[in-house]
Amino acid sequence: MKAKDLMVPLHEYLSPENTLKEAAVLLRIARRGEEQIGVKALPVLDKTGNLVGILSIGDILKAVYPPYMYLMDLGSFTWDGMVEAFAQKAATKKVEDLMTRKVITVKEDSTLMECVDHMLKNNVKRVPVLNKEHKVVGMLYERDVFYEIAKTILGKNRGGAQ
Amino acid sequence: MTHEAVTTARPFVMDTTFWTATAIFVIAYGVIVFEKVHKTVVAVFAAGLMLVLKILEQHEAFHVEEFGVDWSVIFLLISMMVIINLMRPSGIFEYIAIKSAKWGKGEPFRIMAIFAVVTAVLSALLDNVTTVILIAPVTILIADALEVDPIPYLISCALASNIGGTATLIGDPPNIMIASKAQLNFMDFIYHLTPIVLVMMVFYILTIKLIWGRKLKTKDELKKRLMAMDEHEAIKDPVMLKKSLFVLVLVLIGFVLHGMLHLQPATIALFGAGLLLLLSKTHEPHRILAEIEWPTIFFFMGLFIIVGGVVKVGLIKWLSIQMLNVTQGDMFATSMVVMWFSAFASAIVDNIPYVATMNPLIVDMARQIWPDLSGIQMLHHPDLMPVWWSLALGACLGGNGSAIGASANVIVVGVSEKAGRKISFMKFMAYGMPIMIMTVLISMVYVWLRYYVLGI
Repeated sequence: MKAKDLMVPLHEYLSPENTLKEAAVLLRIARRGEEQIGVKALPVLDKTGNLVGILSIGDILKAVYPPYMYLMDLGSFTWDGMVEAFAQKAATKKVEDLMTRKVITVKEDSTLMECVDHMLKNNVKRVPVLNKEHKVVGMLYERDVFYEIAKTILGKNRGGAQ
Repeated sequence: MTHEAVTTARPFVMDTTFWTATAIFVIAYGVIVFEKVHKTVVAVFAAGLMLVLKILEQHEAFHVEEFGVDWSVIFLLISMMVIINLMRPSGIFEYIAIKSAKWGKGEPFRIMAIFAVVTAVLSALLDNVTTVILIAPVTILIADALEVDPIPYLISCALASNIGGTATLIGDPPNIMIASKAQLNFMDFIYHLTPIVLVMMVFYILTIKLIWGRKLKTKDELKKRLMAMDEHEAIKDPVMLKKSLFVLVLVLIGFVLHGMLHLQPATIALFGAGLLLLLSKTHEPHRILAEIEWPTIFFFMGLFIIVGGVVKVGLIKWLSIQMLNVTQGDMFATSMVVMWFSAFASAIVDNIPYVATMNPLIVDMARQIWPDLSGIQMLHHPDLMPVWWSLALGACLGGNGSAIGASANVIVVGVSEKAGRKISFMKFMAYGMPIMIMTVLISMVYVWLRYYVLGI
């Protein structure tokens, strides 16, 4: 089993100039397989199709989280409506200012263990899959790796990933 | 005393060694001012140069008080940092900040004034940088809750910390350095500087009232957000809180009594740090020690060695002769020149390298004036005391003059930028410079009145 066998082929992606509002729409309606159930992250590609970052819902939480809150333990001193107020301010921010620029990727021919290695060591739950030309061809999700493992454990005929 | 014996070790000649040392000193300070290379890197590299070129022997840099690292300063700083690092996770600082804000009953200016006083008091007891790191985030949170502009609060916080830090021996690094060089104790600072800092704070509060008092407005429903906060939730570790407050009080009592006990401030602080480490029952001193601001500590060590080099070759002595020529030995004029020059110099340069240079310069000047005296008799000569206080007041208060004048300002500007509200260099100066001039004017009147008119 290689990365390309388990990945979800690339359908939706973001451009660095997209606003957070546009990104939120796409994240909610993006396809996973046949269904439009939304995804937890989308790759960000520039005009020439090169991968420049990844925007996950974690990045969106960060976009509404005031950076000074990192400096002290202030969680108990927040108020109802604070996230909503910051979300309104963040709506027009650009994807390029919010995305994670250092993206952990795998190659389409990477073995499944290499993919697991990258996921565990870098603590990421989804990795873009690149072809030989360094273009994104799909996304590999932790959940699909789990389904593959489950299939093996449970015996191939009783697999739950159908 | 030992001071005298070492100074005469090298006769003063403007030879290659003299010019090499001077060049290292001037270039290092120049690079530090322009901030192209990190100041700590510059200081450590230039110190290494002083040693490798044998301008200063390693023995002198490490073990001779006059030319080398002032370990009293280093250990006092490290120990206080350890105590604060152990104290922080208890939640005490969040508690104090939220409690103060609630005390202001949600009135924007009242909160600003209370924060200014709290910041000033904390800065007098801890170092300024720590204080603003602890106060600034809460300040922005409160401003966000009240939906008012956080920038006035942040600027006020930085300015108040520099004023408050002036009040005590441990409040601001220049004072720590001056105390060590001039052998002044904690109570000397309380007696000579604290009273005038209290006066300055009154003027400061009145000034910020004039500047921001009317502009800051909020709605009643927003005040409820603030009043709904429960400061008790801040206390994460009540046991550690009690232990650290116990040690902090012990250390402060130790500072008050250190003159009488014949113990150096660094001794008191080191004992406190050791005791709190023991009481914390930590099995990971590694983490707490790693949180010491090592770049600052190494900056100090590097500077001491650089300045030691130019003291040894006689540059500082030569400068002190030039200063005496200007002031004609008039000690009042000297005090005033030192105060104003220090204020403007500290607004432009970091006040730490500035004071590192001025300390030996004043000692050398004193040697020219009173060649028969030495040790405490010379350092504490009644005519010299106002000069030390003028240096402390000028160097500490000068930090308010610009956004880079003091480390606290740099921190506040950084925090503000992270919060998406950039404070420009000119914006900071528009508030900082007038406050600096006001406080230095107050100091000037104070020094003149207290030491030259009343003579007390």
